[in-house]
Amino acid sequence: MANSKLFKGSLNTIILKLLEEKGKMYGYEITQKVKELTKGELKITEGALYPALHKLEAEGLLEAEVAKVDNRLRKYYKLTEKGEKETVNRLAELEEFIRSMHNLVNPDWSIQ
Amino acid sequence: MKLTQDQIQELFKFTRKHYVEYYDVQLELVDHLANGIEEVMVQRPQLTFKEALDLEFKKFGVFGFYDVIKKKSDAMHKRYWKIFFRFYKEYFKLPKVLMLFAASTLLFLVLRALPVETSKYIPGLAILIVLVLFLINVFRNRRKQRSKTRKWLLEDMIAANGNIFIYLNFALQILLFPNLIKWPLGSPLGMFMVSFVVVLIGILFHVMVNIIPHKTEELLAETYPEYKMT
Repeated sequence: MANSKLFKGSLNTIILKLLEEKGKMYGYEITQKVKELTKGELKITEGALYPALHKLEAEGLLEAEVAKVDNRLRKYYKLTEKGEKETVNRLAELEEFIRSMHNLVNPDWSIQ
Repeated sequence: MKLTQDQIQELFKFTRKHYVEYYDVQLELVDHLANGIEEVMVQRPQLTFKEALDLEFKKFGVFGFYDVIKKKSDAMHKRYWKIFFRFYKEYFKLPKVLMLFAASTLLFLVLRALPVETSKYIPGLAILIVLVLFLINVFRNRRKQRSKTRKWLLEDMIAANGNIFIYLNFALQILLFPNLIKWPLGSPLGMFMVSFVVVLIGILFHVMVNIIPHKTEELLAETYPEYKMT
């Protein structure tokens, strides 16, 4: 996608939504999943993903667990109870935003 | 294809070379780089490990790991203060709150018994005495710190906030400018407020310098799921 700024503000919501669906994920997996779901249209940059994950963790919306995979340790993130509730709110906000943007971009000029 | 143990160690070295000094941050970045490298080496088998690593590192942008380190540090600060308030709050609940009021009253009685020209030095002196009493503990904590090879971000924050010298300066400022608190000492209510605030400050230092550093191991295990595994 040409302008990644458009989805930058929604990054946290995207992460929360993915974790809600998948249960637990690690950083690299999140970047790949977004690429796959959007057929390469959206790419989460590494420099943005980890700060977002750490912020959500500090806010108590995510918790981490670590497992040994291959010959290294891997940090998985999952939603906390507070995170589950917040995901519902943020998704509703995002949907509302998308509706508003749609109305702005495609205004209905017909007389009601 | 999976990376070897030597290549993983190479990645740890790479993160250290790029100013990632904390093990908790290194761990996550190493796994990320390793995943990326493994994938790119399957797609383009002609690439060497080093070339694949450069490709993956470029994805972090021109600032490299800077953003990750900065935001992780901000997030950890938030976490530190949450931990701090968890312990500080204890002093506003029974039975510790009784100690808070007893100490405030005692200081109030001392201030009331003295002329203002003398009592204005007491708050600064009281804080100074409390800090000097903490000094022995601080040196004991420092010795423990030095013996460790792996650095954890939270551990460094605990040690930094347990740095008594920052607070010594604060106590000296009050001692040097005692007239700043001369006005509230003019009334009994003001005098009690000064006593109360001095005790609150004393407890704040006590939590930062004595309580939290003694629980470092426990707090690291609670904060980092990887702590016990390494």
